[in-house]
Amino acid sequence: MLDKIRVENLSCFYADPKEKGGKKRVLESLNINVVENEILTIIGPANSGKTTFLRTLNRMNDFDPNYSRKGAIYLGNDNIFNMNMEKLRKRVGMLFAMPIPLPMTIYENIIYAPKRLGVVNKKSEQNEVVEQALRDASLWNEVKDRLNSSAMKLSGGQQQRLCIARILAINPEVILFDEPCSGLDPISTAKVEESMMELRAKYTIVLVTNNVKQASRVGSRTAFFLMGKLVEVDKTGTIFVSPKNKQTEDYITGRFG
Amino acid sequence: MFNKRFLSPKVSQKISYAILFCATILAIIPVSIIVFIIIKNGASAITWEFLTSMPKDGMRGGGIFPAIIGTLSIVLCAITITLPIGVCAAIYLNEYAKDNLLTRVIKLAIVNLAGVPSVVYGLFGLGIFVMFLQLGVSIVAGALTLSIMELPVIITTARGALSSVPHSFREASLSLGVSRWQTIRHVVLPNALPGILTGAILSIARVSGETAPIMFTAAAFYVPHLPKSAFDQVMALPYHLYIISTQIPNMPRNIIFGTALVLLMMVLSMSLIAIIARIYFRKRRKW
Repeated sequence: MLDKIRVENLSCFYADPKEKGGKKRVLESLNINVVENEILTIIGPANSGKTTFLRTLNRMNDFDPNYSRKGAIYLGNDNIFNMNMEKLRKRVGMLFAMPIPLPMTIYENIIYAPKRLGVVNKKSEQNEVVEQALRDASLWNEVKDRLNSSAMKLSGGQQQRLCIARILAINPEVILFDEPCSGLDPISTAKVEESMMELRAKYTIVLVTNNVKQASRVGSRTAFFLMGKLVEVDKTGTIFVSPKNKQTEDYITGRFG
Repeated sequence: MFNKRFLSPKVSQKISYAILFCATILAIIPVSIIVFIIIKNGASAITWEFLTSMPKDGMRGGGIFPAIIGTLSIVLCAITITLPIGVCAAIYLNEYAKDNLLTRVIKLAIVNLAGVPSVVYGLFGLGIFVMFLQLGVSIVAGALTLSIMELPVIITTARGALSSVPHSFREASLSLGVSRWQTIRHVVLPNALPGILTGAILSIARVSGETAPIMFTAAAFYVPHLPKSAFDQVMALPYHLYIISTQIPNMPRNIIFGTALVLLMMVLSMSLIAIIARIYFRKRRKW
């Protein structure tokens, strides 16, 4: 099994608002790998650094002037911190906690990025890309008759699957999910989880979730973060049945967090 | 009684309500009186001929057509210069500028630019555009002067419009590998455009009544024909109004008030367009 992502000694900091020039460490010397075509789920209480870690993987935090980091992350053989940001994000897509459809039609939402990135040009190709992406995100049957209506009119769950379809349209290698179901009802959540399981065949997935049960349902491996440190990472089956660390056990059995 | 309160809560509530309400009414009284007096004295002068013909008899008769055209050409020229520059500056400040000394100086300069008295703009325009750049007293010189005056307003309203576009839209677009400029061009700008346009219309309305900045730079005392090029002097409504009400003896009252009425209507109708545009775009807004 190949490592898709390899994280070496990653530390992340935010500027401390209380003292000038001071830094608060939110991630400490993290070493972890993500295997190709697995779903790595990351669990941990608030302030454990899991979202910071995820947003570092596609450098979404780079626009924040308070944020700094050291260490290296390799995507395949390339250090992502030496890569062009746009190229990196084309390879590493991200789904946010709240669905964020862009204020345009469903069709335009899907074709927006491929068009801007110059991946598709011809109208016929565009139709194909849109249909394929919506099918892969299991949304096609619900929206095929109203591709030209506003994406803002879809329900929350549909919007979130639209956002998945939007990522699939640029054909990334890795997809990052940042608590993608925190705003969804159980049925929509089940649908999003279902798409995740299907996507696993083609993509490598990293899922940050506050929902421990969700991690146990979809994860191939699960990592437990606490206070900016990786406490334990193992096969999901193992970690939920016999965690090596006491803190991990306490967290997944609901004793804290 | 332990309670030494002079008024019961109920009474004091009524009194404060009454004071606040009166203050609000006071704000609309001057506006209504101005409009009423101008309409009462000027309505009789407004005819099709008054709006579309040249002045006659040393401006004591005829129409104000060249002044209307003059004002329109100056303000339209001015907004075509300001809008692109102002929007670009707003995009830079809102989307790209880091919070450093330079940015703070720029922001301070913009605030101060907005506070400069209009007659100072007029003198500045006279010095720079009319004399130094040798544009002469002309539409171009007046438009350039007004455009500098409009600039802080345009930048401020455009920045407001840009920052009202939710940050999450930018994140969503960037996360798809779309570049920053493409994000601005295809997501941020289209959604900020209504706000930017409304601001532009309002600033046109504001400067079309300005007298001081164009007095030395564009406006002529009396030009009984239409401008042939952008380097001609023109008559302009606010300046014309100033002339006929102070410099010309035996000026018929209804022409003075008629001219004021036309200027007022021009400004009000532009504000109205801006309000209607805002309502229309707000309804169409998709988030």
